[in-house]
Amino acid sequence: MLFFRSEELLNEWLASNKAGRGAVLSVPHIWELSQRWYHNRMSTDYHGRNMEQIQNLFREVGLNTEFWQAG
Amino acid sequence: MDEKQIWDVRAFIYRHFAETTHAPSVEETASHFAVTHEEAASAYEQLHQRHAFFLKPETHNILMANPFSAVETSFKVHANNKTYFANCAWDSFGIPASLHVDAEIEAVCSQSGENIHFTVRNQQVRAERSQSVRAADVLVHFLTPFKDWYTDLPST
Repeated sequence: MLFFRSEELLNEWLASNKAGRGAVLSVPHIWELSQRWYHNRMSTDYHGRNMEQIQNLFREVGLNTEFWQAG
Repeated sequence: MDEKQIWDVRAFIYRHFAETTHAPSVEETASHFAVTHEEAASAYEQLHQRHAFFLKPETHNILMANPFSAVETSFKVHANNKTYFANCAWDSFGIPASLHVDAEIEAVCSQSGENIHFTVRNQQVRAERSQSVRAADVLVHFLTPFKDWYTDLPST
């Protein structure tokens, strides 16, 4: 997951790397995802998430396109 | 090691990262838990298989315990009077989110190479005033669909 300062620079990078466009998140959105994903990572009770929990978490932050599906 | 001890190893590794910015070696973990090198190495392997963290191929050296990176990257996070390395753009926010602390994030635009600098204060993110862009103008691009993330995590 990489940073780009603008949509134009992202498109230049995709073209120069012959890469397809994946998913693009704004900083407020990635911060929201980070808080949900990582808030309990230091807890001794954290033993990871199963696929259903991950899919629910993605949906809760509005990531519900095919890109975020388990397959 | 039993199931509880294996997860205790995970907790120890994360605590070690938070306190030192580095991953503990198998020897350090074995010493901490008063177990043999083989037992600690086995716990590392089991936690790697469960995606609790990831080892460098063919070794028992931790490469990443998300959001922490055991190797230097272009995603620096200054927090707790320390400098951590994150694995990617997402994980650079993951460090203050997991530690629940204020932080300064230093990274670069992957196309232009320009510096990108964020401040996290009181659970809010903003771009540094010296930048000509607002935090909301910066984008994070995910190249790999979720279903393929764990096929090759370092590339993801």
